[in-house]
Amino acid sequence: MSRLAASRPRDWIRAVLVLATLALLALQDVAGWLVVYPDAWVLPITPWLNAFMVWCVDTVGPGFRAFSATVDVPMTAVRELLNWLPWSVVLAVLTFVAWAAAGWRLALFTGFAVLYMLIIGYWTESMNSLALVAISVPTAVGVGFGLGALAFLSGRAERVIAPGLDLMQTVPAFAYLLPILLLFGFGPVVGLIASVLYAFPPMVRNTRLGLARVSSEVIEAGLMAGATPSQLFWRVRTPSALRQILLGVNQTTMAAFSMVIIASIIGGTADIGWEVLLTMRKAQFGESLLAGIVIALMAMVMDRLTAAAATAEPKDPGGDRGLFARHRNAFIAVGLGLAVGLLAELIPFLKAYPEAWEIYPAQYLNDAVTWLVVEHAGTINLIKSWAFFFVMLPVKTGLAQTITPFTWGFEFTPGLKAGYVALALALVLYMAVRRGVGRASSIAFLAILLFFGLTRLPWPALLAMATLLGWQLGGLRLALGTAAALGFLIVAGVWPQAMLSVYLCGLAVLLSFALGVGLGLLASEYDAVSAALRPINDTLQTMPLFVILIPFVMIFKIGEFTALLAIMAYAVVPAIRYAEHALRNVPAQVVEAATCFGCTRRQLLWRVKLPLAMPVIMLGLNQTIMFGIAMLVIAALVGTNGLGQQVYIGLGDGDFGVGIVAGLGMAFIAMIADRMTQGVSRTWQERLGPTPRQ
Amino acid sequence: MNALKGMVAGSILATASVTGAGADSSDPIRIPVNEWTGQHVSAHITGTLLQKAGYTVEYVTAGAVPQFAAIAQGDLHLQPEVWTNNVGDVYPKAVESGDIVVLGQLGLQPQEGWIYPPYMNDKCPGLPSYEALYDCAQAFAAADTFPRGRLITYPADWGTRSKDVVAMIDLPFEPVAGGSEGAMIAELKSALAAEQPVIMMFWQPHWLFAALDFDWVSWDPAGGECVEESGQKRGSACGFQQASVDKIVNKDVATKWPGAYRLMEMVTVDNATQNTLMLEIDNKGRKLEEVVAEWVEANEATWSPWVEAAKAAMSS
Repeated sequence: MSRLAASRPRDWIRAVLVLATLALLALQDVAGWLVVYPDAWVLPITPWLNAFMVWCVDTVGPGFRAFSATVDVPMTAVRELLNWLPWSVVLAVLTFVAWAAAGWRLALFTGFAVLYMLIIGYWTESMNSLALVAISVPTAVGVGFGLGALAFLSGRAERVIAPGLDLMQTVPAFAYLLPILLLFGFGPVVGLIASVLYAFPPMVRNTRLGLARVSSEVIEAGLMAGATPSQLFWRVRTPSALRQILLGVNQTTMAAFSMVIIASIIGGTADIGWEVLLTMRKAQFGESLLAGIVIALMAMVMDRLTAAAATAEPKDPGGDRGLFARHRNAFIAVGLGLAVGLLAELIPFLKAYPEAWEIYPAQYLNDAVTWLVVEHAGTINLIKSWAFFFVMLPVKTGLAQTITPFTWGFEFTPGLKAGYVALALALVLYMAVRRGVGRASSIAFLAILLFFGLTRLPWPALLAMATLLGWQLGGLRLALGTAAALGFLIVAGVWPQAMLSVYLCGLAVLLSFALGVGLGLLASEYDAVSAALRPINDTLQTMPLFVILIPFVMIFKIGEFTALLAIMAYAVVPAIRYAEHALRNVPAQVVEAATCFGCTRRQLLWRVKLPLAMPVIMLGLNQTIMFGIAMLVIAALVGTNGLGQQVYIGLGDGDFGVGIVAGLGMAFIAMIADRMTQGVSRTWQERLGPTPRQ
Repeated sequence: MNALKGMVAGSILATASVTGAGADSSDPIRIPVNEWTGQHVSAHITGTLLQKAGYTVEYVTAGAVPQFAAIAQGDLHLQPEVWTNNVGDVYPKAVESGDIVVLGQLGLQPQEGWIYPPYMNDKCPGLPSYEALYDCAQAFAAADTFPRGRLITYPADWGTRSKDVVAMIDLPFEPVAGGSEGAMIAELKSALAAEQPVIMMFWQPHWLFAALDFDWVSWDPAGGECVEESGQKRGSACGFQQASVDKIVNKDVATKWPGAYRLMEMVTVDNATQNTLMLEIDNKGRKLEEVVAEWVEANEATWSPWVEAAKAAMSS
């Protein structure tokens, strides 16, 4: 029986849209505004925003500046304290803390990390970075806990806070550096505030979730014991939610570390971030890598430390033990610090590490990259041209413009074009008969996209298509949200840049998702692969992304291909992690049952594990998209022309409006993508039905 | 832009904190340190001389663009090396409103234009004249620009000057925005290592010229100053208007530290000085402070009049 008759109304809408797209393309010579949104229709959103900013600075500016003067005091104090302490004291105390929290392996790693900072000669810079994080993390945790508790206690507050969190995490920090600078004045405080703004949202989410998940029995027990509301909150709810809250602390810490470099762009901090920027400007790969490793190591140590605290078994309250017994580790840490400090007074090199003992192997790293560039120039060019001609350009400007004798080796003659159209039509008809109008329309749209290219499709068609997709994946609300957000991009006049960003980021996400799921699959089957991938993933996620740009540029030159690779290097990590996690956590009973039925290993993977793991893998796609969009701004440093570049133009011109419009645009695209992939994940979950979870 | 009004508000605050005129303030003078070595040299020479005159000096790392907001607001006080070609909108507005005072040129002779490695002279006969580029665009072509030549321009946030010139003189080249200084240098380094074609908008003095060899594309002689924005065409193309490197101070410096103001008026640093010092620092890996101290010691005849003038101008 034909599926044609069984098609749903919205499938027909899609078909109509495809036809409308073709009609718009046919009309583009007559009515250009149908394809390219006219400049005259652009609303002056940027001037409005700038006017608002001036008003803000005039009215509330003095208050903000007083605030930043206050915050500067503890920051300077911590920085001076850390720089005053002999290195041996910092080493001893940190190693002991790591041992007490997570055992000797982390202690060993911590000791190695501290020694590394010392040996390559970045001690002062490292301590300055540590000071920034030491202030920003507690502040972010405090703010996050407060807002999380507020969101938990009041539904109205939650409705305000939730969308705000999405914005905070998706608007690139570069976009709000300028307003912060204007409001708070120049100096390290600006970096601190940018860091807090970016780092607190995970804390809010985890606090709210943790508080909401406290079981009702625990609450009842508390009530029966006669707890007042405040006791109930502080003595019952908060301790019970502690594990989730500590997970929030962990994520907040990681986010704060990822802001260290961006904070340095303003300046005022002679820290590791500044060192990375300085070496990056000179394109000194080895030097910037050595500095970048410091941040990666710090972040990894803090990650393991806070993660260990989050998963540790809750200790018994130890009611009537003495003061010393309860704070034994704290006393030991202080004692150890004092002892080593005294020793450092006697033995000078324990206090100030001698410069002659520093080792700085940057030159070897630089030579390695140069060797690669010189020896493999031919291969590198081949890879790049191939990627350009057969993948990137067709998506960007379409086959109609891409196929030339220089690129594909032949002319795209009218005959060949007719062949392409005939092939596409045949495929569409086949799909219409076998799979229904919906699928057929999707294929038709893809065929049009490949022929004309994403950047040359009419904006009304793309807007309508995205809105329809939103409706299908998330209902009416998502459809309205999508239409409003994309509408903003159109009337604000950044639609062409947005499409360039979507093209670059979309391609990078698709490629890294495919690659990541493949690697994750291997890692779930072979422990050796998993063990080899983990340190690579950790490094890619914690290393400042600027550092990896330089070797990529040296090898693949300035341009979109390098940007694509840079985005992929960062976005592939969540795809790998989620895929491996999902496949490894398929319920054991199911696997056992399947094995009993005589499944081979391959059948087990493809027929049982993969379908069951799909919802979680889709969440991985969601994260891949988020990471990809986050990387867009940084990728603009190697020469792209999307919204990321607009953010820099705004920063360079001191134009608040331009930067924030581009930043909001990226946030909107991220949010739409987030809701849509969550919708897909939900659909998969529902299709599977409730699975037995362990 | 409009953000400037905000800075005005900020600097009113800063003015309020300035203690009454008369004696030079003993507060530290804050000098921004930007992202390139040449500026480090200028900043540290100026700073060392200010110390010789009896001031306390504080060096603060600052981004080349964000620093203007800080100087206008009085968070940073003086900057000996400002390249007037890539300053965005904040700087000219701040100069116009009087928050930033320009004290003339530092003495560096900047040059801007298109550079290429010497081995390209063989692949494109007729260079360095820009006329040669019309015939050998393909020698500079790459996969993403073929058959047009690939010209790396300044990053998009530094304006579109090369792109405009290419369009005006109708050169068969595709301008590709460089993204960032680091990316541009990385590209140059790797192209030179593998002897690949490259042509790029660049500027000097820059430490790169101490380490690597480059030739400059030459233009038709302009009668007087080159007018870059309009009127250029093949046969009468003058290329680029040359920038100047200015010394600037916050508007309160004249009243708060009159001696420092005087010293800033007098101080000069030329290309030769910067190039020699940069070579020591970037290529020989020596410490900035050490190299500057050496220069100061060896050139007392040059700077002692400046310091004397500063001391004379100090209100006692």
